[in-house]
Amino acid sequence: MKKNLDFLMTGYARLCAVAVFLATSLLLGFLIKRGLSSVDLKLFFGDTHWLSAITGTQPVFEGIWPAVVGTLFLVLLSSAISIPTGVASGVYLSEYASGRVRSFLGFAVDVLSGTPSIVMGLFGFTMILFLRNTLLPQARPSLFLAAVCIALLILPYVIRTTQTALEAIPEHLRLLGPSLGLSHWHNIRYLLVPLAGRGILSGVILAIGRAAEDTAVILLTGVVARAGLPASLWDKFEALPFRIYYLAAEHRSQAELDQGFGAALVLLLLTGFLFLAAFFLHAKFEKRWKTH
Amino acid sequence: MGANRAGLISERGIQRSLLIVTGISAVAILFMLALLVYFCLPLITSDGMSAVLSWEWKPFSGHFGILPMCLVSLLLSVFALGLAFPAAIGICGFVTVLAPRGLARFFLILIHFMTSIPTVIYGFVSVFLLVPLVRDRLGIGTGFSFLTAGLTLSLLILPTIVLIFHARLQQIAPSLRLTAEAMGLTPARQFLHVLIPASSRGLIVAAVMGFGRAVGDTLISLMVAGNAPQIPSSLFDSVRTLTAHVALVVATDSQSLSYRSIFASGLILFLLMGGANFLIRRLDDGIGKDRHEEEP
Amino acid sequence: MGILRKRMNVVAVLSVFFLLGWFRSAALCGALDGFAGLEGTIGIAGGTAHIPVMNDAAKAIMTFNPKIRITVEGGGSGVGVQKVGEGLVDIGNTGRAVSQEEIAKYGLKSFPFALDGVAVAVHPDNPVDNLSQQQVRDIFAGSITNWKDVGGKDGSIHLFCRDEASGTREVFWEKLLKKGPVAGTANIVSSNGAMKMAISRDKDAVGYVGIGHVDQSLKAVKIESVAATQENASNGSYPVVRKLYMNTKGEPARLTKAFIDYILGPEGSEIIRRHGYIPLE
Repeated sequence: MKKNLDFLMTGYARLCAVAVFLATSLLLGFLIKRGLSSVDLKLFFGDTHWLSAITGTQPVFEGIWPAVVGTLFLVLLSSAISIPTGVASGVYLSEYASGRVRSFLGFAVDVLSGTPSIVMGLFGFTMILFLRNTLLPQARPSLFLAAVCIALLILPYVIRTTQTALEAIPEHLRLLGPSLGLSHWHNIRYLLVPLAGRGILSGVILAIGRAAEDTAVILLTGVVARAGLPASLWDKFEALPFRIYYLAAEHRSQAELDQGFGAALVLLLLTGFLFLAAFFLHAKFEKRWKTH
Repeated sequence: MGANRAGLISERGIQRSLLIVTGISAVAILFMLALLVYFCLPLITSDGMSAVLSWEWKPFSGHFGILPMCLVSLLLSVFALGLAFPAAIGICGFVTVLAPRGLARFFLILIHFMTSIPTVIYGFVSVFLLVPLVRDRLGIGTGFSFLTAGLTLSLLILPTIVLIFHARLQQIAPSLRLTAEAMGLTPARQFLHVLIPASSRGLIVAAVMGFGRAVGDTLISLMVAGNAPQIPSSLFDSVRTLTAHVALVVATDSQSLSYRSIFASGLILFLLMGGANFLIRRLDDGIGKDRHEEEP
Repeated sequence: MGILRKRMNVVAVLSVFFLLGWFRSAALCGALDGFAGLEGTIGIAGGTAHIPVMNDAAKAIMTFNPKIRITVEGGGSGVGVQKVGEGLVDIGNTGRAVSQEEIAKYGLKSFPFALDGVAVAVHPDNPVDNLSQQQVRDIFAGSITNWKDVGGKDGSIHLFCRDEASGTREVFWEKLLKKGPVAGTANIVSSNGAMKMAISRDKDAVGYVGIGHVDQSLKAVKIESVAATQENASNGSYPVVRKLYMNTKGEPARLTKAFIDYILGPEGSEIIRRHGYIPLE
């Protein structure tokens, strides 16, 4: 009887592990099998020559290049907004905030992190409506709006990882700065943040990955199926995750379906690469503290 | 001395500016809530709220009820949680206690990797793999169903639950395991009888986070649940979640009251997640807050 | 004298070739000439039946003049009306006529450019070939639920419908379903393209789609023995037909007008025909 319980538990655990492994392999394998053959220059640039496509002299019609560039712009812009803000907030919450303030602001950050992405998109959409009715009648869904909403979406990630990374610094290293006469801020700036650097960076990279894959927010804030390269911040744009969704919902031919698989593989490679970078940084970061 | 005072002043300035920056999060939340409520106001004042909180969504016959979608969101998330939670416990047991170190590490990396897979990819693969499976192999329905969405959703939230629970286990496991081992318990029993009870709060937090993730997801149900605005009577019925409803109606808004219903939906989602977060906070207080004072 | 004649002959022959070439390229360039020297953006949104035509036109125009940028989105006729009315796009496409309220509210100007029927579509392997109007009504109302009740194989009917903003839906509901009830269990898809995809992958599926979207991956069912073709739609024997419209808010701006003229012109007609619609003269 006793042995049975052991056996059952171990068997069950193994079963779960195998099941998850199978599910993931199935997912990846299917994608790679159907998509790998489609990943070539034609996937990105259609019939346009790649050099003129990249320099922007010729528009790309059947390729995913505009979507890739759109995603790139989105990620860059939202990171530029959220990373400095997030790191600063994380520093504040970890090093400066008193108990009550920390609790209150921490709660706000938590609520922000729990907000569904579609609600964030709705927020952006209502912002435009609000502006159109009041201050700015020409406001329209745009790259800038989408970037701001995504920045809000990923802000909690950056804040939390910065906070956690700073809090993980052992006590004796925290005392090093003040023991040398450094002010609180100087201690943070020249010692603690660099020490926590890798952890913070891994959080930043995770946030970037989240920005690249988001679909629900951009659905409501200005992404379209065809717009070419983003011409300005205040205009509609294309993005890779939306292109994948769109092709899944309505591809008109086998060629378009293949393009969908190719695009899905490209997105997966992008997020996979970001993940690896973040993971190794984080692993090195942890290792650092374990040996001290 | 003068230099010190200057240092103190800029110190204050820095603290203040950091506070302002951090306050952005709080301001954003309040602003979001305010906007949602502002756009819901016409509903409340014109008594449209009762129209929206009803059970039929047939905009051309004048019915704008979003309650079927609310129900489906809850049911689907509970279903996904019901599949993912037991599996997550199994995997945590495997990784923490029952597997050799190399295999455990591999699985941990796998689970981490799963969190980086974009949601749209889960949906995409589901459309072309799972939907035909349900439709042709199981032979019931169109393939776009509650079941399909539930299965995909459970795979989506599984890594979240595993990682949160695993993090908690890692905090408490070393000391507890030693004691349990000394008492002669096998690893499986250590896990079952000692670790799980000791980390019950972590379990609840993980479950709530997983549930929250499921409720908040849009793409999967949009792509594979079928989007019929009805109360499901079987696993194979086509259903629509609240999140998919917002995406559909905004993309297709054509009438005033159906349009307003998305703000009510947004508000409900926002409050639901806010509530879940509050719950987690209350539970989490005391767990893993101050890492400095961990091992005595 | 001999050399002069030879030279004049050569010149004559060369002139003929030159003139021929010039005329030919003029005929081809004529339609796009309206875009020479212009620059700017044209935003187009709305009906999903229009999208293939809009995309091809956009491609031709943007290749000719890279300074012009044309964005195309779907969303359905309702979205087209809203977005052009609110000034968010320049052209709002609809697969139905704009209503009086819409014209009054937004000040819209309509430009019909093609004729398209709406077909009841099933999977190509579905043996059902012909349905009566009442059968169609019953299927979409959910009272007939098995294919064998209408002469097909035994299997439950998988119903697919369009979203609320769809002009295709509205036309189909008015003209064939006669505003009858539609089952609440139907799967909802958001565009003609999505409908086509859903039906072509499901052997038991049935839905409705613009005839211009019908190809070998679908089968258009005959309604009371009248085939669902554009010819039958235009001569009136097929009951469900609608015009495809481009709508602008007030008089269109110069660039937008050039685009509309392009669609209504000979090259536009060619694109329209290529995608299975009938251009309006």
